Amino acid sequence: MSWFRRLSNVFRGDRLSDDLDRELAFHIAAEADALEARGVPRADAEREARRRFGHRATLKERTRDADVLGWLEALVADLRYGVRSLGAAPLLSLVTILSLALGIGANTAIFSLTDALLLRPLPVAHPEQLRKLTMGSPDEDEFTNPLWERIRDRKELFAGAFAYGTDRFDLSTGGIERPAPAAWVSGAMFQVLGVRAAAGRLILPDDDVRGCAGVAVVSAGFAEREFGDAGRAVGRLLTLDGHAMQVVGVTDPDFFGLSVGRTADIYVPLCAQELFNGAGVLDQRSRWYLSVVVRPDPSLGDAQFLARLRAAAPAVFAATVPPNFSADQQKKYAAGTLGAEPAATGMSDLRGRYAPALYILMALVGVVLVIACANIANLLRARGAARQREIAVRLALGAGRWRVVRQLLTESLLLALLGAAAGVLFASWASRAVVGFLSLGPASVWLDLSLDGRVLAFTAAVTVLTALLFGMAPAWRATRVDPQAALKAGGRGAVGDARHRLGRGLVVLQVALSLALVAASGLLLGSFRRLVTLDPGFRREGLLLVRMDFGVAGYKDSQLVAVKTEALRRVRAIPGVSAAGASLLTPMSGMGWNEFALVPGYSPADARDSLIWMNEVSDGFFAAYGTALRHGRDLRGSEMGTTAHVAVINETAARHFFAGVDPIGRSFRLHGGKGDSAPFEVVGVVQDAKYRQLDEKPVPTAYVPLGQGPFAVPAATYALRTGSPAAVTAAVRASAASLNPAISLGVTTMESQVARSIARPRLLATLSAFFGAVALLLAVVGLYGTISYSVTRRRNEIGVRMALGAGRQQVLGLVVGDAAWLIAGGIVTGALLAFAGTRLLASMLYDVSPADPATFALSALVMAAAGTAAALLPARRAARLDPMEALRE
Amino acid sequence: MPGRGTPEGTLDLLILRILAVRGPLHGYAVTQLIQQSSADLLRIEEGSLYPALHRMAQAGWIKGRWGATETNRQARFYAITAAGRRQLAAEERAWTRLAEGVARVLRFA
Repeated sequence: MSWFRRLSNVFRGDRLSDDLDRELAFHIAAEADALEARGVPRADAEREARRRFGHRATLKERTRDADVLGWLEALVADLRYGVRSLGAAPLLSLVTILSLALGIGANTAIFSLTDALLLRPLPVAHPEQLRKLTMGSPDEDEFTNPLWERIRDRKELFAGAFAYGTDRFDLSTGGIERPAPAAWVSGAMFQVLGVRAAAGRLILPDDDVRGCAGVAVVSAGFAEREFGDAGRAVGRLLTLDGHAMQVVGVTDPDFFGLSVGRTADIYVPLCAQELFNGAGVLDQRSRWYLSVVVRPDPSLGDAQFLARLRAAAPAVFAATVPPNFSADQQKKYAAGTLGAEPAATGMSDLRGRYAPALYILMALVGVVLVIACANIANLLRARGAARQREIAVRLALGAGRWRVVRQLLTESLLLALLGAAAGVLFASWASRAVVGFLSLGPASVWLDLSLDGRVLAFTAAVTVLTALLFGMAPAWRATRVDPQAALKAGGRGAVGDARHRLGRGLVVLQVALSLALVAASGLLLGSFRRLVTLDPGFRREGLLLVRMDFGVAGYKDSQLVAVKTEALRRVRAIPGVSAAGASLLTPMSGMGWNEFALVPGYSPADARDSLIWMNEVSDGFFAAYGTALRHGRDLRGSEMGTTAHVAVINETAARHFFAGVDPIGRSFRLHGGKGDSAPFEVVGVVQDAKYRQLDEKPVPTAYVPLGQGPFAVPAATYALRTGSPAAVTAAVRASAASLNPAISLGVTTMESQVARSIARPRLLATLSAFFGAVALLLAVVGLYGTISYSVTRRRNEIGVRMALGAGRQQVLGLVVGDAAWLIAGGIVTGALLAFAGTRLLASMLYDVSPADPATFALSALVMAAAGTAAALLPARRAARLDPMEALRE
Repeated sequence: MPGRGTPEGTLDLLILRILAVRGPLHGYAVTQLIQQSSADLLRIEEGSLYPALHRMAQAGWIKGRWGATETNRQARFYAITAAGRRQLAAEERAWTRLAEGVARVLRFA
């Protein structure tokens, strides 16, 4: 209680003081009365009473100490003084707060992204209890449905278990597709996770039995977008890939599925797959697509649980051995094991791709913050020198050095807090902008960026560290003052270290860090530029891609090739289309198909060595894409869908499998689970083209005619070379509708598809360029400030030199030469730092080494030029000095 | 807090005792009374008195209130509280122990 009273007394300030004055005044008056009663005259009595009372100010202070919390009162006083102090130098304060806002804000933004993507647990009940099942290593985390069913039946191991598989549904009933991200879930999922329904009900175990009619649960966001609000969604019908399904409920708005960075809009029970993919799909033993997540029995420890899993594994695998595997493969399969990984933070395909990029960005913004702190430290040091008199007075009056330092540090903390407040606002904007950037990738990204405890704690820690970093040294330096010297009339007195090593050291540090950042951003920019300008083996501009899904329109296996070729014929007839070709897969689509090739005369070193990437294509495909034919001929229209097995291979395949020999006329087989395929005769060789990523090394590829691959795929993508995409798109829609209005279409361009595949390098290049520029600017400003200050201090010296005959050129040379040492020192240190640091970028760079000499040389040149320019301004000022003026100082 | 047996504790002891016996008093009266009661052997410095009074008020042993003296001046009067009486008892015990201990050493050392 007394503590609280002492705290509130801090803020009662003046009233407390007045009360104390009155109390003490009474004591003196009473004493004076007593003396007067003994005959002393009034005036003398009062004087004597006051004298006996002692030193009132000290007494007041000591009494007051009992009444207030001393440290809090000092803090409040320091803050008030700090605010006045900042107000006295508004420009400096503003510049400082802005730099801090940028520095702290950028750090907070990147950390909040890191937190949202990597650290934040799922918004479900007790996420720390959840475990993701694996088959030994963390990467082997996808199961088949038969395996899931065997695992699910081992109820004694789990308090709850469920399976989850992502997919995509087309909501349209023909015409342009409306894709929605979705998830296949087992009946127990929502219960195990403790998800609540915002409307209606969620999927229950009874909904997930074989032969079910299928129901749908939608996310809150989807319900709002489609139906207006959650309540209205229940009972409505959705068309998923052409199949009607009723919505029975809406999930809680917080729940977004299990994939961090994505949202699942529609949840459908596993059993409904039979409606979409035919009976038997649930028993397929080679379709790996389910994640299995469990809540272990709480009474089991981790080690116990793992042991039981491993013990259960043989039975589970033995019961699900795929019959079409070879004897060897079957043995390997049956020896599979089960493991578990913590799953509190869910799963994410984004994590693996973006975690390294985020770490790099964290390092970059950290460096920017350090550079900003060095700048501010220099600014404050210069200001500290200007406040010498004020500090000297305080020291002379008896303030302890530590007390004054504390007050200066409080000012720094105040600056940092104001900067942090602005920075948090900047960060919330910036992190949303980065997520927007990420959404330029193959699919849109959604992250929960709300401030949580971790992010706030991070910001607070960064703020305090920043304040200490830029405040401590100047505060210490400023109080190292000889009061006598400082108070002399001349005023220029003691300036601490005549060569102000601290200031110069800081500038060298800034230049060094800046150079490292500029070099890093140069590397990332160069890498991105190379990606954008490389030749992918086809012409990406002017290529319209139209994906037509015939399956939703009801076409079955035998009809597919016919309708695909008919569609191709119609599309070629559209005016404005100079060439067109169809294929199963398109480059950089994120999808791929590979097989093991059996080539007579070629013995592979291992399984990987006989890997060949495949595509089904139509005649005219290569012409449409602009991929050059090197030997032989293109595929013919008459070969589509027939048993005349032919193939066109790329240069790498020709070199790899048929080294030296002309492959035309030779043949190869595909090695598959159901036995080897019929032989494909090679009829042509084409230029190498990129398949999955722009930065991949060329891979052996084989192109077979439509319909000659092992699977009947209901969709095909038509590539149309045209200069007027909008008009052609409309014509294609009309054409497809006239063929069959239920065909669904997805339209994009090859350029945008390629651009989406390099979203990560683009992000890194853009942000690092931005921060590199900021760092350069900060370093230049810092250099300017220091040289400027140095010139001011050396006015006397320059005046003397000029009086003794030095010309303007010599003075210029003097100042710039001084700066040159700093810049050179910074560049050398920076180059070493960069050399060590850019190694961490290696995995993000394409076709450029982390120690690329051209980039380093260019960065050094830029830094030197910028630094010299920064030094020239004060140098010219120095050269224009009037020696008489300067000497009068 | 049990009796401290320190100079600070001794001062508190004297003040509490005076207030317990004589009722609410202002600071000046306390010094006068201590001086008189000890037949001028003890004299409290104002520099120690007021910090001690405020400290004890914060600790809850005495309570201060503005009031009027006989000469109709405004002064701050302090009265002992229940907690103060407990503290007084503790300080008396501590003082007795201290005096006894010193006496024994002087006799037997």
